[in-house]
Amino acid sequence: MFLDAGTLQIAGESLDTGWFLYLAAILFVIGAVGVLVRRNPLVILICIELMLNAVNLTLVTFSRQLQNLDGQLFALMALTVAAAEAVVGLGILVDIFRLREVEDVDELSELRG
Amino acid sequence: MNWLPLTILLLPAVGGALLAGRGWRWPRMLTVIVGPGVVWLSFLAVLYGYFTDVNVDQSYWTWIKVGDFTLPFNLILDHLSLFMCLVITGVGGLIVTYAVGYMGHEDDPSYARFFCYMDVFVFSMLLLVLAGSFVFLIVGWAMVGLSSYLLIGFYYWRHSAVVAARKAFVMNVIGDIGMILGTFVIFFQFHAVTYHAVFAAMPKSDSGTLELAAFLFLVGAVAKSAQLPLHTWLPDAMEGPTPVSALIHAATMVTAGVYLIGRLHPLYDVAPYAHHTVAIIGALSALVAATIAIVQTDIKRVLAYSTMSQIGYMFLAVGVGAYAAAFFHLLSHAFFKALLFMSAGNVIHAMDDEQDMRRFGGLWRQLRGTSISFLIGSLALVGVIPLVGFFSKEFILGAVFSNPDPLSIWLWVVGFGTAILTGFYTGRMWWIAFWGKPSSSRPVAAPQEAPAVMLWPVLVLAALTIFGGALQSKTAIGFGTTLVEDYLRPVVGAIAWPANSLDVLLALATMVLALVAFGWAYLMYVPRVERRAAFLDGVAEVAMASPHPWNSRLPWAQTLLEHKYYFDELYDWAFVRPLDRLARWGDRGDRRVIDGSLAGVAGWVRGGGRELGLLESGYFRSYILVFVGGAVVAGLLVLWRASTT
Amino acid sequence: MITAIFFIASLLALLGAVGVVLFRNPIASVLSLVLVMFALSVHFLLLSAQFLFAVQIIVYAGAVMVLFLFVIALLGPGRELATSRLPRQGWLAVVFAAGFAVLLVSLLGNLTYHQPASTNLDLFGTVEQVAIGLFTTYLYPFELTSLILLVAAVGAIYLSREHRS
Repeated sequence: MFLDAGTLQIAGESLDTGWFLYLAAILFVIGAVGVLVRRNPLVILICIELMLNAVNLTLVTFSRQLQNLDGQLFALMALTVAAAEAVVGLGILVDIFRLREVEDVDELSELRG
Repeated sequence: MNWLPLTILLLPAVGGALLAGRGWRWPRMLTVIVGPGVVWLSFLAVLYGYFTDVNVDQSYWTWIKVGDFTLPFNLILDHLSLFMCLVITGVGGLIVTYAVGYMGHEDDPSYARFFCYMDVFVFSMLLLVLAGSFVFLIVGWAMVGLSSYLLIGFYYWRHSAVVAARKAFVMNVIGDIGMILGTFVIFFQFHAVTYHAVFAAMPKSDSGTLELAAFLFLVGAVAKSAQLPLHTWLPDAMEGPTPVSALIHAATMVTAGVYLIGRLHPLYDVAPYAHHTVAIIGALSALVAATIAIVQTDIKRVLAYSTMSQIGYMFLAVGVGAYAAAFFHLLSHAFFKALLFMSAGNVIHAMDDEQDMRRFGGLWRQLRGTSISFLIGSLALVGVIPLVGFFSKEFILGAVFSNPDPLSIWLWVVGFGTAILTGFYTGRMWWIAFWGKPSSSRPVAAPQEAPAVMLWPVLVLAALTIFGGALQSKTAIGFGTTLVEDYLRPVVGAIAWPANSLDVLLALATMVLALVAFGWAYLMYVPRVERRAAFLDGVAEVAMASPHPWNSRLPWAQTLLEHKYYFDELYDWAFVRPLDRLARWGDRGDRRVIDGSLAGVAGWVRGGGRELGLLESGYFRSYILVFVGGAVVAGLLVLWRASTT
Repeated sequence: MITAIFFIASLLALLGAVGVVLFRNPIASVLSLVLVMFALSVHFLLLSAQFLFAVQIIVYAGAVMVLFLFVIALLGPGRELATSRLPRQGWLAVVFAAGFAVLLVSLLGNLTYHQPASTNLDLFGTVEQVAIGLFTTYLYPFELTSLILLVAAVGAIYLSREHRS
């Protein structure tokens, strides 16, 4: 393909590393589009999770390609942090929802200037 | 150290200062004493100087001393300036006394203001004639212009008065510029500005620089004396109270130009082009003014144009070198013109502030005293023996006639014609205002004669008019005295050419023809039904088949004269409108460009702030979009760097 | 066969991702994301990340997504309004995202990749290896991560407490 990152020998077969990278890139972009386009705050958070997952995939791919375990450990950390961030984000949303029913994140625009 | 000149100068200043500072709170009596009083005291000082034959150029204080250039504050009290001081303080004193009664209806602060301005004017005029250097001459010159402005616009709540005052001041400033530039030229040439130094160093032959200086001073003189072409302010100046018209615009300020040329005669004697121009301007002004006076309906305006005309005679005299003649006419004009203005003032006062002559009529029967004084003044103006006007006018015309210069004979013709016209318009004025039946539109049916305080100055002036001829009779009728000429000879020199034998004959001829014109006016302007001198009617029947007024035969002439030869319209088109446009353009520029740029900068800052504020819309999704956009840009940068390195 | 597994999993991941973005119902979005996570964990397995494969399913799909579902259940599914206040957002987002995609691709293409020598992958990605890395070399980040979790827990409790007004 457009990049030459070598091949991975997985259980006897070869797979191009590039495939994985492209998949991750596409997932990431789809997640980005979702964040930009969707208006339900919950869905936005979900799309952010999708992006994080794509990043994790990239990390693990490179970890396998470079045969260095650091990538997986980093992905583990990222996963943990993503969980924590999702928790806090949802907590904030719950707090906002106490005041009013937010169907459109554009309603939360009082910090304007 | 001779303190006399300074005393003469400062007495009116003290009066003016006191009235300015405290006068508005004084009782009227105090104003009456201080206002005219300081002028009379100054007059006494002048008399003292006359009788002790003072002749001094006294420096009181050195103002500037730079290297070898010194500018002192010096006052010159020689025969010429003493002569002028006599006129200023004497006639001025009479007029200011007259004003005590005339301005009586004003309230106290306004009354004090009037006398304050008058005192300031007298002080300024004295400074003008006493100044021993060009610099202080200009100071006095400018202050006189200021006083004139203040006094013309005395009734400042009247739009016409304010406009007239401004017009007078602007034209005076044009003259001031001429004076200042002339002084610069003098300084450039002589490196000194006192009369003493400059006249001592005056070269005997002409040069371009001297001509230039002479012309520049001429501009100043023309502006101040209301000669062509800077004359348009004088008729409008009649907006001021009548005593102001009498003092400033008849007796003193407008004669400053004559004094100037007389004082600077060493300069003009060696600058023949400028000198001739003086005479030409004088003659033309005299003629033009006389023609315009024929159609004026406001009695004060007739007198104003008459003043312009008589000053034209004075300019004519100094222009040919007959300085003593000019100053004698200045003196006599002061007498009879002040007399005329004050009598007119009495009439106006009696007629409840009406100034249109056509609404008078028949005052001879009701205001006998004023009518007689007005008649005396009028006949002096026409130049009838034995009044002083005859002697002074014929002195001038005789000197001009006998002058060997080839130009002079033409000037004499103009002067002669003007004298006849003078008779005509003066007659018209007198007959319309005083003779015949009272006009149907008369404001006051039974007018009262003026109070004593307004009458006795008039009587004094009438006496001076009647007997003043005794001062200088020889030049007009061939025998008698030459007191004025002799007195002024040390300063201005004698008349450099012999008198012509025809002088006396011509003098009498002029007088006769002027009187004929005076009578002609009777026929023209007093309607048939009102004429009481039946024999004159008979003459009229014989002389003219049907006496029509001239203006029905020449309507275009009537229009031309009524519009004063369209000078005002010309100046308006040439100067006022372009300046107005320029001012408007400047105003637009100022508002749009300067204010606009300042406001524009402020607007940009505000607008920029507003625009930037839009970035903080509060919409989370917009922010994210910007994130992504920024990430794209950053990524492109990285790529670009990577590709170039 | 590995290639086939890879492509199937990739397809599922893509479908799930598209579903996340396009479903109107947030519950459906969450479930799509779960599908994506499952697909990705298969990928992890292919890439010799056995521990992550398990952790991804247990923690991410099993806990975090469940949390999302709980919150959705708590707050109500909500329906998005038809009209948006930012009309240009939609196509601008696509444009920017496309640009971003192109950028990513070109960035990826411009890298020079390191090819290590072949080594033994028998113990690569095992729990034991992960534990060794986590508790020796990366002990400090590990502890910090636990701190983050603590903060998050406290924060969540605090944020969602009952306000007495």
